[in-house]
Amino acid sequence: MGRIRRILHVAANDLRIMVGDKIFFFWTLAFPILFIVIFGLLFKADANTPDVAEITVVNLDEGRWGAYFIGQIEAPGLAVTVTDKEPAEYNRLIVLPADFSARIEARRDQALAFKKRSGASASAAARVETRLMQAIARTISELVLYGEGDLAKFLDARPGFRDIVRVKSEFPANTVTVVPSGFDHTIPGTTIQFIMMMVLIYGGISVMEDRKKGVLARMLFSPLSTGELFRAKLLGRWGLGLLQAIMLFVVGKIFFGLKLGNVPLALLVIAVFALAMAALSVFIGSIVTKEDLIIGLSVLLANIFAALGGCWWPNEIVPPAVRAVARISPAYWAMDALHQLTFFQGGFADIVVQVGVLAALAAALAAVAGRAFRVRE
Amino acid sequence: MRRAALILLNDVRRHLKAPAVILIFIAIPLAMTALIGIIFAPKTEGSKLPPIPVLIVDNDKGLASKLLVSSFDVDQMKEMFQATVTEEADGRARMSKGKASAMVVIPKGFTLDLLEAKPVTLLVVKNPAEQFLPDIVEEFMATMAVMLSGVVQAFAEEVRGVRAMIDLPVGAMPWESLAPELGKAQKKIAAASKYLDPLLLRLKEEETQAAGARPRITASHLFSEILPGMAVMFLLFIVQTLMRDLLTDREDGKLRRMATTPLRPLELIGARLAGGWFMGLAVLLVMAGVGALAFRVRVGPLGLYLLLAAVISFWTAAFFALFHALVRNRNQAGALGAPIILAFSIFGGSMINVEAMPKAFRAIGIVTPNRWYIDGAALVREGRFPAASLVVLLVSGLVLLALAVPALRRRTTE
Repeated sequence: MGRIRRILHVAANDLRIMVGDKIFFFWTLAFPILFIVIFGLLFKADANTPDVAEITVVNLDEGRWGAYFIGQIEAPGLAVTVTDKEPAEYNRLIVLPADFSARIEARRDQALAFKKRSGASASAAARVETRLMQAIARTISELVLYGEGDLAKFLDARPGFRDIVRVKSEFPANTVTVVPSGFDHTIPGTTIQFIMMMVLIYGGISVMEDRKKGVLARMLFSPLSTGELFRAKLLGRWGLGLLQAIMLFVVGKIFFGLKLGNVPLALLVIAVFALAMAALSVFIGSIVTKEDLIIGLSVLLANIFAALGGCWWPNEIVPPAVRAVARISPAYWAMDALHQLTFFQGGFADIVVQVGVLAALAAALAAVAGRAFRVRE
Repeated sequence: MRRAALILLNDVRRHLKAPAVILIFIAIPLAMTALIGIIFAPKTEGSKLPPIPVLIVDNDKGLASKLLVSSFDVDQMKEMFQATVTEEADGRARMSKGKASAMVVIPKGFTLDLLEAKPVTLLVVKNPAEQFLPDIVEEFMATMAVMLSGVVQAFAEEVRGVRAMIDLPVGAMPWESLAPELGKAQKKIAAASKYLDPLLLRLKEEETQAAGARPRITASHLFSEILPGMAVMFLLFIVQTLMRDLLTDREDGKLRRMATTPLRPLELIGARLAGGWFMGLAVLLVMAGVGALAFRVRVGPLGLYLLLAAVISFWTAAFFALFHALVRNRNQAGALGAPIILAFSIFGGSMINVEAMPKAFRAIGIVTPNRWYIDGAALVREGRFPAASLVVLLVSGLVLLALAVPALRRRTTE
């Protein structure tokens, strides 16, 4: 048996044992899918459904300006509920006081109470707040247009307001043509996070157990050298990460319409990332002797890397300092590369830096893991 | 009783001799709380997001476009936007690599079209990889568009006068005829200033205690809200690890050796349960203590917090006593334990704020200890007695215990 065949044989056997575990599909497929569904729905509800931007207007106004102002607020994508007393539950609420009309007609300034429920959607709140600002700007513009006349007569003969300046939005040329769904954002993040978690936990524990049970030492009775054994272990764990990514991408494509851009390049990114994680798992499995400790370390590292790398939330909302620190996370580079492919239809030239960083990290971790790799306790 | 206490002490000593696992599981929720808190804590009043990188392309280079560009340079806007003026080709190249949240393109002829009150369109190119910031830029530009439309209409006559002169050579301009136009404009500006200074209508975000609304949160509030969810998730992991002794003793043959001593099965079970309970309580107290010192986490009145912590630790110990009585071996325990804990944590609100969850998920959360502990901890923080959480956790914990003890006795004497 040739050297490469021996390595492949051991790696495939490792992969077979890991896949044969009853709970394997729960961890690598079912649980990540649960994550994808929950976070995908959350992002979808938050970002892409304009009808969720609700505003309750408590109109206590004793004049006619309250109704006029509510008309200025109303817009497509905004659900306006008008009531005459403050409800027990609301997401966002604005109060038009009893003297709302009287103060406007007297040209006296006033501050309108605007209440936001802290747990409600932040983007819907921002949309409502912007619309309120626009309504105020429009009202004041009409008042300026009306001039010095009696404001009590304004509503009967108010000047028409024309939207002379309009805003049109689009995505950059040669990128996406439809608004990315919540799933387009959550599937790559969840995949990266669970590759880290599963490769580190499964890979680390199996290396540790094989060493403790003497399996590694016995394997040296075969024509395998220690170096070949290390490469086989590395390859087995790399295969695990790659297999998990392929399963999640296929499920994402079939059930959630995932758009990955250039699929071979996306797989290249995942492959290099999974190799780095495989090397880290062999390293952890080589230096740690307790299963619980490997699980704890893996969960800690995977969660920190995932959070920093933009797997949990969009990196755009992260403070610049944290974004700078995020570069220490392998997940950051993988996510950045996948974003280039998914959202910008990037090619190899667009991800060469990210793939280069991940490849260098994989090489460095493999070198460290190779030195730490032991076949006996 | 003495024998049970000895086992309990021995267990505690044994776990404290090799505390790495417990320490890691304590470190994880604290690290996650720190990270989430640092990222989402409000830094200054009204500024929760980092400055939004915006590219501005001025293809017009006229008076109105310059005014529009300079609106990004006002102090308040500088906090919100990090604006960079660039050429269109460069801007488009940068946007195609996702180097900014959005690009605003002011079209050629913008100023002249405004002077003639012709419709004009501002283009906002949005970064497709970002979910929130490009929309903020778009909405900001929509507000600017309303304001510009208002200004153009309010000063339509004066603007027409200026427009008529623009194409004339400087020498041919009828400067004297500008005076009445400027006079009219001055009157309008004076009239407008009545509405603008102070602003006739403005919004006041209230910190209200009204039902359905909560006050603006601070960094300390945020840490205080995140930590209980994280703490209860990892309490479950830690107690599961500690109570695995119930299985390993059986598998490693220690139980048979102990059966040769005068130790009764009930004493052994009691010691293991008490061990899980006390260690769980200690872990929660350490997390709360570190949280209070490092992140100024508020737990509320200490007595109430201790009561809630004792009850959730008891529930956890009783649950894993029953769990370890039902599973066949440690592989099965490892395979089933973590998924159960993670399911509790997802639906119970440890990973996602309950209020942000779909209704169906919220309903499932009611059967998780995480939900009751998180709700109870919120009440304790406000100095209120968490009656519902205590009753539910205590009663269900006692039921679990009542089921666990006979099952464990059977397994111990097998």
